[in-house]
Amino acid sequence: MITGTGITKTFKQRGNMLGKREVPALRGVDFAITKGGSASFIGESGCGKTTLGRIIAGLETYDAGEIAIDGTPMSPLKVKQRQPHFRKIQMIHQDPYSALNPTRTIYQTLQAPLALRAGQTGRPEGWIDERAAEVLSLVGLDPGTVLSRYPHQLSGGMRQRVVIARALTVDPEMLVADEAVSMIDVSLRLGILALLKDLRERLGVSVLFITHDVATARYIGGDSELYVIYRGQVVERGPVDTIIADPVHPYTQSLLSAIPVLHGLERPGEEPVVPLESLAEDQSDSGCLFAPRCPFRGDGCTDERPLLQVTDGVPQEHACYYPRRRSVIARPMSEV
Amino acid sequence: MADQAPGVRIDGLTVVYKTPAGELPAVRGISLTLEPGTITGIVGESGSGKSTLALSLLNAVQPPGRIAAGSVEIDGLGDVVGLAGEQLRKARGAHIGYVFQAAQNSLNPLKTVGKQLLDLGRSHGVEDLPGLVREARELLGRMGLDGARVLDSHQHELSGGMRQRVGIMLALVLNAHLVVLDEPTTALDMITQANILKIVREVHAERGLTTLVITHDIGVVAEVADRLAVMYGGRLVEQGPTREVLGAPRHPYTRGLIKAIPRLVGDIDEARALPGRPPTLATVPKEGCVFRERCPQRMDVCDTVDPSVVADGARVVACHAVTVKEHAS
Amino acid sequence: MSTVLIPETASAAATMRRNFWLGVWRVMKRKPSRLAGVIIIAGFAFMGAFGPMFYPDQLPDDSNAITQAPSWAHWFGTDPQGRDVLALVITGSRYVLLSAAVTAVITVVFGTTLGLFSGFKRGRWDSVLMRITDMKLTIPGLPLLLVLAMVWKFGSPIQMGLVLGLLGWGGVARAVRAQTLSLRERGFIEAARGLGLSTRHIIGKELLPSMAPYIAMNMLIAVTGAVYAQVGLFFLGVLPYEANNWGVMLNLAVFQAGAMITPNALGYLLGPLLAILLLTLGIVLVVDAMDEIFNPRLREE
Repeated sequence: MITGTGITKTFKQRGNMLGKREVPALRGVDFAITKGGSASFIGESGCGKTTLGRIIAGLETYDAGEIAIDGTPMSPLKVKQRQPHFRKIQMIHQDPYSALNPTRTIYQTLQAPLALRAGQTGRPEGWIDERAAEVLSLVGLDPGTVLSRYPHQLSGGMRQRVVIARALTVDPEMLVADEAVSMIDVSLRLGILALLKDLRERLGVSVLFITHDVATARYIGGDSELYVIYRGQVVERGPVDTIIADPVHPYTQSLLSAIPVLHGLERPGEEPVVPLESLAEDQSDSGCLFAPRCPFRGDGCTDERPLLQVTDGVPQEHACYYPRRRSVIARPMSEV
Repeated sequence: MADQAPGVRIDGLTVVYKTPAGELPAVRGISLTLEPGTITGIVGESGSGKSTLALSLLNAVQPPGRIAAGSVEIDGLGDVVGLAGEQLRKARGAHIGYVFQAAQNSLNPLKTVGKQLLDLGRSHGVEDLPGLVREARELLGRMGLDGARVLDSHQHELSGGMRQRVGIMLALVLNAHLVVLDEPTTALDMITQANILKIVREVHAERGLTTLVITHDIGVVAEVADRLAVMYGGRLVEQGPTREVLGAPRHPYTRGLIKAIPRLVGDIDEARALPGRPPTLATVPKEGCVFRERCPQRMDVCDTVDPSVVADGARVVACHAVTVKEHAS
Repeated sequence: MSTVLIPETASAAATMRRNFWLGVWRVMKRKPSRLAGVIIIAGFAFMGAFGPMFYPDQLPDDSNAITQAPSWAHWFGTDPQGRDVLALVITGSRYVLLSAAVTAVITVVFGTTLGLFSGFKRGRWDSVLMRITDMKLTIPGLPLLLVLAMVWKFGSPIQMGLVLGLLGWGGVARAVRAQTLSLRERGFIEAARGLGLSTRHIIGKELLPSMAPYIAMNMLIAVTGAVYAQVGLFFLGVLPYEANNWGVMLNLAVFQAGAMITPNALGYLLGPLLAILLLTLGIVLVVDAMDEIFNPRLREE
C-alpha cells in the first residue's frame, strides 16, 4: 500500500536577473494505491504526472506532503533508510532503448540485481541463474535465446519486456510504468499492456500507469483508479471505466474528445469538447487552473480554486464548479 | 509552377539499401496513385518502408539506399527519379513541401524562425522576400498563432505543437501543392494532436493540396485521410478509401492492426497484440508473403509465392487468403 | 522450456571473453589500416621492451665512420661518434616509450577516477574537484617543466612519466566528468540506482564500460602527447643527457652534427623523427577502431 498526501513539488528554473522563476509541478496531490491494485495518471506533457511517478519511485524528492509505503512515512527517514522501501517500487521507463545498458548482455543485466538479492537472502549460487530464466519466462521471453543477447539484438517490445523482467528481480510490490508503450510498435503495444495486467493478476504486483492516452489505461484493469491531472492538480478521479463513460470535468472531456475517431468503425461523440488555445505565458494561478482554456467557465471559476470533491449525482470525485456529463467519446458503429 | 493540386503516380517503386549482406529492399514493387486534391495516409510500423517511400517522392533516398526500379510521376514535374542536382533542389520546396519527422526538433536553435524563413526564400531565389514573410504570417495566423511573434521567436520559445505548425508553414510557404507529412503528430499530446490534424485538414482544403501523411498511428490516418494505404515489410498490403478499409479490412495485417489499437469502448478482451514482431531489413522473407510469420490465415502457398496485388474497385489487397476466398464464393 | 540453456557463471564469462576478442578481431580485420596500426604499435612495444637487449650497453663507435650518410651497413648513417643511428634509435626507444606509457596510465587513471567521481557525486565534491582541475589547467606546462628541469634531472623514465602524467590529467578529468554527467541521466543508470545496486557496481560495471572507447582513445593520444613533450624537452636541451634517447639524438643531430647544413647528418636527424612519426601514425590508425571495439553492436556488424 502506497499513499501520498498533499504532495507538492516546485521546480526552480533559472529566470532573469531578478531571480529564479518557480514552476509548480505538483500542487498538493493525494493518492492511494493498494497492494495488488492499480492506478493511472493521465494528462498532457508537463502536467506533473511523470514527476509524481518519479517521486513515488523514490527518484525525485518532494517539497511538502508525505509519502507512506506500507504505513511507513518516508520523509523522517534518511536517504539510506528509504532505499529498501523505495526498492519495492520499480520504474519502467518510457524508452526501452536507453533503459538497458548497451554494453551488457541480458544475463549480466539481470544477474547484478539478482546477486544482490541472493546476498541479502542467503540463497545458493545456482539460484541466480534459475531466477534469471524464471523472470524472463514471466515476461514471455525465451531465456535460452535471450540471456546471451545484447540489447541491440532485441526489438523494442522485447527490450521493454526485459526491462520489466529486470524490475521483477527485486520482487517489487509496485511497477510504475511511465508511458511504457509509447515507443513500441503499435501492433505490440497491447502485448506489453496485457503483460502488466497479467503480472498484476498472477503476482499481485500493483501497477501505476502513467500515460497521455486514456484508452491504454483501460487495459491495466477496468477497476483501475484514474487520476486526471492538469497543471499539477488532480481534477477528476475515479474508476477508469466510470470516468471514460461519464466524464464530468471539461478537461477530461477535452482529453477524451481529442482521441482520433476511427471513421468507418466508429462515430464521434455528439458533444466533443475543444479547449481554448492556451498561451503558456498568461496562465494565472488563481481560481480554477483550467478556467483560461475552459469553454464552459462561469461565475466564480476564476476567483477560487475548486477542490477535488464528490457532489450530488456524480459518482467520481472532480474539481469543477459546473460538472456536467457530456457525450464526448466515439462509439462503435455497431453499438448505435 | 502548377497552381493546382498535382497528381502523383508511383509505379513499381523499389528502393534497396546496401548492407554487408548485399542489397536489401526496403520498399519493393510499390504502385500507388495519389489523386489530385486528396489526402492519402500511409500506415506502417517500424521497418515497413513508409519513410523510405516518402523520401522517394523527393528522390531524397540517402546512400547506402538507392531507387533500384520504378518511377514516381508528379504532374508538372515528370518522373522525379530522373531528376538530379539543381532541378531536384528547386522541385523540393517550390513544388513538394516536406514536413520532416520530429519537425519539432528540426528548426535551427540559433536562428529565429523568421531568419530561417528568409534563408529558405533566398536559397530558392525568391525575389519578393517581404511577400514571403507576409505569406508566412498569414499561414501562421491561419493555424491559430500570432505570426509576427512566432517569426521573432527561437525554437526553444515555442511549444511542440507550435513548432509543428512552423514546420507546416515552412513546407507550404513556397506555394508547394504537394505536401508530405512524416509522422506529423508523434510526441505531441492528444489535444495538440487533434489541433494539428484539424489544421492539416483545413489547410489542405483551403490551399488545394495533394497531401500524403505517413504515420504509425492508424488513428491519425482515420482522422484526416481520404485514402488509406497499409505497408508491411516494404510491401503495400492493402489500400482503399479510409472508411471502407477501416470498416471492413481485408488483409489479415490490417485487421490485426485495427484490433491492436486500445479503444475507449468495447470489449477489452477482443483487442489483442499481433504475435511476433515486425520484420527488419535483414529479416524480411526473400520469397513468399512478407506477413506470413504473423498471419493467422497462413497457407502453404504463402511460403513460396508472393501474393499479387489484386484490385477490386477502389480497394486493393495483396493476400492469398483473400484471393482464394473470392474465387470460392 | 525444460531444456533451457542456463549459462553457468564461470563458463559464461569465458564465452563472453572469447566473443569479445573474436569481435575485436573482426573490427580490426574490417580495415587493413587498423591491422597496420596494431602491427606498428606492437613493433614499438617490442622494440622498447627487447630492442636494447640486442645491443651492448656501450654501442661500438667507429672513428673512421663519423657522421656518415645512410648506407647498407648503416641504414640511417652514423652519428658524430661513428655509432649506428638505427641502433641508437632502438636503444633510445626504451626511455621514451616507458615514460610515455607511464604518463598515459597516470593521465587516464587519475583523470578518469576524478572525472567519474566528480560527475557521479555532483554537488559540493564536484565543485571542489573541478575548481582544483581548473586551477591545474591554468598552470602552463612547459614553463613549469623548464623550472622543474633545473632542479631535477629526470634520470629515470618513470620520473619523467610521473611528472608529465601529473601535468596532463586535467583535460581527461573534465571530459570524463562531462561524459559521466550525460550518462548518469540515462535510463539504465537510474534503473540501477532504483534496484539498489552499489555505487561501485554502477561506476565500475555500468558507467565505465560505456566510456571505454573514450578512455582508450585518450590513453593512446596521451602516449603521443607524452612523446612529443619529452622529446621536445630534450631537444631544447633543458635536460641533461643522462641516457640515450630520441630527444637527445634530435638535439645532437641539429646542434652537434649540423643536420641543417650537412647532408651526411640527415640520417641522424631523420632516424628519431621517423620513429616518432611512425608511432603517431600507428596510434592514429588504431584509435579509429576504438568505438567499434567497445560497442557490441558495431563490433558485430
